[in-house]
Amino acid sequence: MNTVVCMKQVPDTETLIKINPEGTGIVTEGIKWVMCPYDEYAVEEALQQKEKFKAGKVTIVSLGPDRAIEAIRTGLAMGADTAVHINDAAFYEKADPYATAAALAAAVKDLEYDAIFCGKQAIDDDSGQVPAILGELLGLPVVTLVVKLEVSEDKTKAVATREVEGGHAVVEVSLPAIFSAQKGLNEPRYASLPGIMKAKKKPVDVKTVSDLGVSVEPMTAIKEMSLPPARQAGKILEGEDAVEKAKALAKALHEEAKLI
Amino acid sequence: MAERFVSERNLRFLLYEVFDVTELLKYPYYSEHTREMFDMVMETALRIGKDMLYPVLDEMDKNQPELVDGMVKVHPVVREFMRECGQGGWIGADAPFEFGGQQLPIMISLVSNFIFAAANYSASVYPGLTTGAARLITSFGSRELIDTYVPRMFSGEWQGTMALTEPQAGSSLADITTTAEPTDKGYYRIKGQKIFISASEHDGVDNVIQLLLAKIKGAPAGVKGISLFVVPNKRIGEKGELVPNDVNVAGIYHKLGYRGCPINQLSLGENDDCRGFLVGEPHKGLMYMFQMMNESRIGVGMGATAIATAAYYAALEYAKQRPQGRRLTSKDPTLPQVPIIEHADVKRMLLFQKSVVEGSLSLLFQCSKYRDLEMVLDGEEKERYSLLLEVLTSVVKSYPSEMGVLSVSQGLQCLGGYGYCEEFPLAQYYRDIRIHPIHEGTTGIHGLTLLGRSVTRNNGRAFQVFVEEVEKAIEKAGKEQELVSYAKNLKNALERLKGITTHLVGIAVKGEVELFLADATLYLELFGIIAIAWQWLLQGIVAHEALKSGPIDADLSFYRGKMYALRYFFAYELPKVETLAIRLENNDGLTVEMQPELFEG
Ligand SMILES: Cc1cc2nc3c(=O)[nH]c(=O)nc-3n(C[C@H](O)[C@H](O)[C@H](O)COP(=O)(O)OP(=O)(O)OC[C@H]3O[C@@H](n4cnc5c(N)ncnc54)[C@H](O)[C@@H]3O)c2cc1C
Ligand SMILES: Cc1cc2nc3c(=O)[nH]c(=O)nc-3n(C[C@H](O)[C@H](O)[C@H](O)COP(=O)(O)OP(=O)(O)OC[C@H]3O[C@@H](n4cnc5c(N)ncnc54)[C@H](O)[C@@H]3O)c2cc1C
Repeated sequence: MNTVVCMKQVPDTETLIKINPEGTGIVTEGIKWVMCPYDEYAVEEALQQKEKFKAGKVTIVSLGPDRAIEAIRTGLAMGADTAVHINDAAFYEKADPYATAAALAAAVKDLEYDAIFCGKQAIDDDSGQVPAILGELLGLPVVTLVVKLEVSEDKTKAVATREVEGGHAVVEVSLPAIFSAQKGLNEPRYASLPGIMKAKKKPVDVKTVSDLGVSVEPMTAIKEMSLPPARQAGKILEGEDAVEKAKALAKALHEEAKLI
Repeated sequence: MAERFVSERNLRFLLYEVFDVTELLKYPYYSEHTREMFDMVMETALRIGKDMLYPVLDEMDKNQPELVDGMVKVHPVVREFMRECGQGGWIGADAPFEFGGQQLPIMISLVSNFIFAAANYSASVYPGLTTGAARLITSFGSRELIDTYVPRMFSGEWQGTMALTEPQAGSSLADITTTAEPTDKGYYRIKGQKIFISASEHDGVDNVIQLLLAKIKGAPAGVKGISLFVVPNKRIGEKGELVPNDVNVAGIYHKLGYRGCPINQLSLGENDDCRGFLVGEPHKGLMYMFQMMNESRIGVGMGATAIATAAYYAALEYAKQRPQGRRLTSKDPTLPQVPIIEHADVKRMLLFQKSVVEGSLSLLFQCSKYRDLEMVLDGEEKERYSLLLEVLTSVVKSYPSEMGVLSVSQGLQCLGGYGYCEEFPLAQYYRDIRIHPIHEGTTGIHGLTLLGRSVTRNNGRAFQVFVEEVEKAIEKAGKEQELVSYAKNLKNALERLKGITTHLVGIAVKGEVELFLADATLYLELFGIIAIAWQWLLQGIVAHEALKSGPIDADLSFYRGKMYALRYFFAYELPKVETLAIRLENNDGLTVEMQPELFEG
């Protein structure tokens, strides 16, 4: 089974984020970057499907600046076979979900695949639109929030279990199709040392957006970005004894928090 | 639980900025690798540590291994981790390609082993011991032994161990009595008792391979009669099946710490059916073991540093959050209490820990780099690194172990009463780290080794080479205005060490061996302080350089913190050299003369 995985490099969740002086994005210097955790499920699923069918190729496609190669190599070290790196800093800077999907679609269209896997969303900008727009541009069905996937022997259709509010929905879809991975789909493997050694030699096709022959303009732009307000200090209620303190609490809940 | 147990930034600093591992890439042996790969190795090790090992740190301590019907039951993560280490190539990480290893620099395997040990020391021991045991086989064993055992050890299916200690022979291995009787079938019949053998039987693997010391019947007395054997708990039968090899667990010990890994008493050959396979030549066993010393002793220093590092970050985390007391200048009791990290005395405790753990880690990288260079170079250059390792091995084992215990104690102290309670992680770290001054040669034995052997052998050649290396750093630092005073202080301390060494050797020359070695442990301590001061100077040179060139914001406090720790070490630790020197100059024989009965009083 041939698959494509759309993967994004994002800041590590534990890294300290600062907003840039223009207020339009984050300071990208001096922070740690990793493969988006949902994309890890996508890579793992592609690898498991390949292993199940004992044949096929897993191709990672990623849009990002030079540094994105690190996350691409991680995917290759996990076991993916090849990669396309759309390395176009100028484009990437202002790419919105539509522009991103358009670039990915252009890179994917010449590849052979039975399925495309994406993460359900990138954990940095959280827009969660790329899989759906990509489906629209490629004319493929899209199944989101997949937690289980079974592909038929002849690779013409698949049964996917989706997470829905309060339960699950089982969806049948014809292939090729796009699946967005939700936590629970699998347990992503760690890269192995032999995998890391091999990753170095695996081909990575580097392209700019103009190499791909597309000219897209983003449809949205970030005007302002801000951090959540700092948590306010707690308040210690004064009072001689428990009764006094309870009174003070009731008063605070009523007058300040306006909860009761 | 604390959020972090190692500093990735500090690992990168040591690996790339201070000891530039990429210098090794020019040698054919390491030419397959790239920096990008090293980064990925580190990333992956961090994830395994964080996701798999750290979450069960406490659990493995509370649910100790149990002996049930002759089998030792360990935490299920042991099997999972051994499998990951096998499939991931971690057990053979620095072994040559020809044996199925990944041929990574020793500096890189130091990084991954350190991360695993900081995340969960007990868990890290299982693959670590297997690596060491496999290396003994690949270095000295026959092709047949290698082919039979090493692949399944590297794959994590089989555990490797080091089985040296016996009830009557701990420090004094010359006194082992386990015997090996030759047969005409290519194996030896083993009989004897081994105690305290880590991971020597457990259900986290399918088989255990003991690298065991025994005496062949009729062998010369003492260390010259010791041979090395492979003794599997289950041997390979005629059809390739595993059959019991008469290795029996007579009991498990209940330890102070490091409780996630069993140490067992083994009874070998109770039914005269324990087969051992000779490694290399007869009577050379101890020599083979000692050739592995650099590795296993760097390993102990690494384990101690790793535990103390995790303890440091836990203490730091706590100190930032615990409000207690007010500033000495604050007169107003209604003001809120300040986090204890604001108090000078708490900062002193944290600086002590930082200077011990980061200084120790630096020395570990230094020695690992020497091991790498020793491997890829030839002739005189190679010899130079061998000499440096000879003189530093006892130091890199003992300083982190002894000072690590004190460092964790200070970490515990930062938590006040909570530090003493098992609900907080410091108590476990305090117990876990205490093994390190004991195993792989007690500190006392290493004092004797350093002064009685390493420093004096070959007319003091190894010592001389060490002095030259420290002098190089002193010279370099002396050129920087901000570092001149450090350079001068270290120079004075080094002169003191040279003087003391000459003085002590003079006593040895007079044949007064007992006086010469009476305070060898103090000599080791003094030596250790100088070695760590040297490492701090090396780090300071790099940090100072980086600060001069205006680092990015995120790095500014990292380098400034380094400069403070350097300053701390030279202000608080280095002066201890003087007290030690005074004692070492005074060879009044106090401890030699003291009589056992005088203790009774
Ligand atoms: C948790 C743990 C794990 C271990 N794992 C292993 C293992 O995997 N494999 C293995 O083979 N062993 C293992 N050991 C054993 C360990 O290596 C020994 O405990 C150690 O070598 C000390 O030997 P001993 O306990 O017999 O102490 P002793 O040798 O009796 O020493 C007691 C004290 O006397 C001092 N002393 C002894 N001889 C001298 C001397 N000649 N001069 C001056 N001072 C002296 C020592 O420094 C020490 O302070 C382990 C032990 C422990 C506790
Ligand atoms: C086994 C045990 C038995 C105990 N028994 C009793 C008992 O019977 N009765 C009882 O009342 N209490 C008891 N305690 C409590 C014990 O007295 C306290 O734990 C101790 O006073 C320290 O207080 P703390 O734990 O809150 O630590 P903290 O006060 O939070 O101290 C944490 C760290 O910060 C440092 N620090 C705090 N304030 C300052 C400052 N102003 N300047 C500089 N450094 C500072 C401390 O030195 C320490 O290193 C017991 C505790 C234990 C562990």
